[in-house]
Amino acid sequence: MENQIEIREDLIFLNCKFKDRDELLKFMSDKMMESDKVNKTFFDAVRERELKYPTGLNTGEIKVAIPHTDPKHVKSAAIAVATLSNKVEFKNMEDPNENIGVDLVFMLAVADPKSQVPLLVKLMSIFSDKELLKKIKNSKSGNEIKEELENLIKE
Amino acid sequence: MKRIIVACGSGVATSQTVASKLERELEKKGIRVKVDAVDMKSLDYHIKNADAYVSIVKPEKDYGIPVFNGIAFLTGIGMEQELEKIIDYINK
Repeated sequence: MENQIEIREDLIFLNCKFKDRDELLKFMSDKMMESDKVNKTFFDAVRERELKYPTGLNTGEIKVAIPHTDPKHVKSAAIAVATLSNKVEFKNMEDPNENIGVDLVFMLAVADPKSQVPLLVKLMSIFSDKELLKKIKNSKSGNEIKEELENLIKE
Repeated sequence: MKRIIVACGSGVATSQTVASKLERELEKKGIRVKVDAVDMKSLDYHIKNADAYVSIVKPEKDYGIPVFNGIAFLTGIGMEQELEKIIDYINK
């Protein structure tokens, strides 16, 4: 079904260390490409969009970013997750002049925005659940995160 | 019916999510409005036919209509207050 998303453990990365945002975006985009979820153009598109319309969010103690881009670079809906052992600077979605040190990244490959809205609403409900954010940040296994996300998006 | 627009960079994920969430929260309070998600490029066009603008990116200019904070609906921080403000405006 087009409003479904497969949460894959091989797209969940724990305790990552990146020297900067571009390195992070490149790594996650490449992994999504290897899984055949996105096109080759995805990385450049995500990177550029981040420059123009950043996706860092001040969600309290655990701060997140949700890099994503136009569906034309996406093959099928997917999400990649990275927990960061050292904060990576993103710009604030609300105010591009402000830096946000991000702890958790949810990279979204949105294939069909209209039909995937209910799913996105459920996924993004995570941003207002501070305890769950902390739990995910401190997760010791990809499977644990996978289960939490699956819980979130099931009916 | 009043029309509210939500805008984000590509009109893909964030604005759609905020629009849907806002619509649902208003519905819970028995208020029906039209909430549309648009991209930043077409904001100037859509804003002419809107009663209120829910912003994801802090606006740099005055659009002549009330502006509310859309990030609150993503992060939950300050959401109830923002919702109250929107409801007050709709009921005005």
